[in-house]
Amino acid sequence: MTISKHERRLVTAVWLVGILAFWEIMAFILKYVVKSEMASVKLPFLHTIFITMFQNAGMLLEASAVTFSRALLGFAIGAVIGVVLAILMSLSKTLERIAFPYLIISQMIPVLGLAPIIFNIVRDMNLSRIIIAAYITFFPVSVNMLSGLKSVDQEKKELLYAIAASKFNVYRKLMLPYAMPYLFTGLKIAAPMAVTASILVDMLGSKSGIGVKMLYSLYSSSMDIFWASVITSAILGIVSYYLVINAEHFFLPWQSGKEGETA
Amino acid sequence: MSETQIQVKDVSMVYTNNAGEKINALDSVSLDIKEGEFISLLGPSGCGKTTLLRIIADLLQPTDGEIIIDGQSPRDIRIKQEYGIVFQQPVLYDWRTVRRNICLPMEIMGVPKKERTSRIDEKLDLVGLKDFGKKYPFELSGGMQQRVGIARALALNPKYLLMDEPFSALDEFTREKLNEDLLEIWGKTKSTVIFVTHNIPESVFLSDRVIVLTPHPGKLAAVVDIDLPRPRRNELRDSPEFFEYVAKIRKCFQEVKM
Amino acid sequence: MMNKVKNILWPLLFGIAFLALWQMGYVHKVLDLKPFQLPVPLEIVQTLHANLPKAIKDCGVTLSGAFIGMMIGSAIGFMIAVIATIFPKWGYGGLIIITAFNAMPIVALSPIMNLYFSTGMAQKIGVVTIVCMAAMAMNAYSGLNTLKPYSMDLMHSVAAERWVIFKKLRLPNCMPNVFTAFKINVAASIIAAIISEYFATSTAGLGFGIKDNLRKAEMAMGWSYIVVASLAGVLIYIVILLLERNVIKWHASQR
Repeated sequence: MTISKHERRLVTAVWLVGILAFWEIMAFILKYVVKSEMASVKLPFLHTIFITMFQNAGMLLEASAVTFSRALLGFAIGAVIGVVLAILMSLSKTLERIAFPYLIISQMIPVLGLAPIIFNIVRDMNLSRIIIAAYITFFPVSVNMLSGLKSVDQEKKELLYAIAASKFNVYRKLMLPYAMPYLFTGLKIAAPMAVTASILVDMLGSKSGIGVKMLYSLYSSSMDIFWASVITSAILGIVSYYLVINAEHFFLPWQSGKEGETA
Repeated sequence: MSETQIQVKDVSMVYTNNAGEKINALDSVSLDIKEGEFISLLGPSGCGKTTLLRIIADLLQPTDGEIIIDGQSPRDIRIKQEYGIVFQQPVLYDWRTVRRNICLPMEIMGVPKKERTSRIDEKLDLVGLKDFGKKYPFELSGGMQQRVGIARALALNPKYLLMDEPFSALDEFTREKLNEDLLEIWGKTKSTVIFVTHNIPESVFLSDRVIVLTPHPGKLAAVVDIDLPRPRRNELRDSPEFFEYVAKIRKCFQEVKM
Repeated sequence: MMNKVKNILWPLLFGIAFLALWQMGYVHKVLDLKPFQLPVPLEIVQTLHANLPKAIKDCGVTLSGAFIGMMIGSAIGFMIAVIATIFPKWGYGGLIIITAFNAMPIVALSPIMNLYFSTGMAQKIGVVTIVCMAAMAMNAYSGLNTLKPYSMDLMHSVAAERWVIFKKLRLPNCMPNVFTAFKINVAASIIAAIISEYFATSTAGLGFGIKDNLRKAEMAMGWSYIVVASLAGVLIYIVILLLERNVIKWHASQR
């Protein structure tokens, strides 16, 4: 089955238009056919949401910037910690033995559920936002990175061993480049989650950020602003995902088109 | 035995690769295959031998020419389920045991259950895997897996057995053993066999006729009749006649200067 | 044998050492925390023991919502994957949209579901359903379509019909991917259920419990809820691992 790139774009575009149209039609039905009194709350017309977003672009952008920048900072910190831990685990069997089970268990801890507790401990909105985003990023990054480091072919290692390459060089020339696609798989999973974490902390009592806008507008029943901030936050998540994908295409051009392994 | 059963008439296959160039995989190949014959399609990679086999199997459509089998098209034969195919890889379904892998095509063809069981027993015995029926593919060696693939094709009692480099992934010792086994099995069936290979001694050892194909474009270079007595055993490989055939075929390739 | 012992002993020793240091107050010293900010392990255990019935009841509320939502979401996701397989050209585009969907923050979903459903339970199930859909759709799609070389040719050579190919080849082939999706969804569904409880009108569940106890400054109780939630998650995860071991014992990952 071969689908050309051009065709693929066309199909995706048709889908996108189809979904937007479907939304408008459903909103229309809800308002004029079912005559629901809650229509403009439950499912307002998409174009009215876009108009609201346009009118409040400044405010929404400012709030998004706050949320997104904290998510990005936490994401970067978490990614660095995850990569370092993965390298350490691949270097030391003992460390892997100790850390790996906890890595798996830590995935089962409802991390986002910890948000209020962490907020209670550090008492600082920005800091807890960064901590949670980092914590959430670190897991998928380190697990995927480790599985990449461990799946290097024995022959490739022996090639370097045969010419007595130093450990540092083995990592620089072979292990790290080899593990890059795996790293990006982890980053792709983590990026939207870091944004989610940041928005959640907003909603738990921050003073700025897109989550605050969402919650305030909900409580004050300004539904157009509410829907506009919901859509904005959805866009933030999607943008973060595609930023990672673009970074992958840029740094690993040979990898484009291929899907990485998911751990 | 002598009647023409499969007619390959001026079959051509042209691919367009990613760069937009046209590749002539097969250039106007014609060939008659008799009923009950064992023929080999021999040539280096790129000579179109697998392409030709896949066209006969109706897995590919030629860009030009046609194939007539018993007065019908390959599609008719496929729909009538008269093909048995053995691929380059064993193609076992990981989630089925050896027995159930052999059973798979028969399930699809609606062979009655009782008959299935007896045929599986028979073919397992034939390929020498009697005690391995309950094993999963991952518990078998490569050679054993390929035997299962052969048993699966044979279990259909196919009129046409198509084999696409079935032993190319195996070591030389296993390959020679399976060559001998294959001839013994074939002796008990009445199938017409089309065997694709890039190994000259293998094609000589197995075939009634060797079809020599050369690449760029894929062309029929020569047809060599192998008049060696049957049944053939591996000792045959040491005989001067065998060497003569091998040398003769090797010369065919040198002449066209690849 | 020696390795197996080491595999268990090392992490166990580390865990005990960490809990001991935490109990003796070193964690507080390093992070400069007061005891009321971070309770010590024994205090958490005692609190949990004292409030066990209530904790289990809240846990049950959250988990049942998470479980039902996961099942519905996974079923819908699987159906999307099947449809995308039947119509490859259009289905693939649909899957790209689903991927984008997956990047949407869960937290934005909770308030929306609040608008649609009046009860906390329905709202929770709604959120979890949507969260679990994408992972299943994407994994199942790749399992239904990443077939070993020639396995499709084998089917064609005996003129198998599409439905037979689906039943005998694609379906069993995607089982490992379905389990991968389930493993992802266990954690995701519990997290989604807890988060949805933060914003719901509900008065039960782990999420509500954590929020409520923190409001009342009962940190130990909040922590004990986290412990229960994690244990429950690990337990469901193990059940899925055991199921996986039985259902796909033929797969490379199980050897």
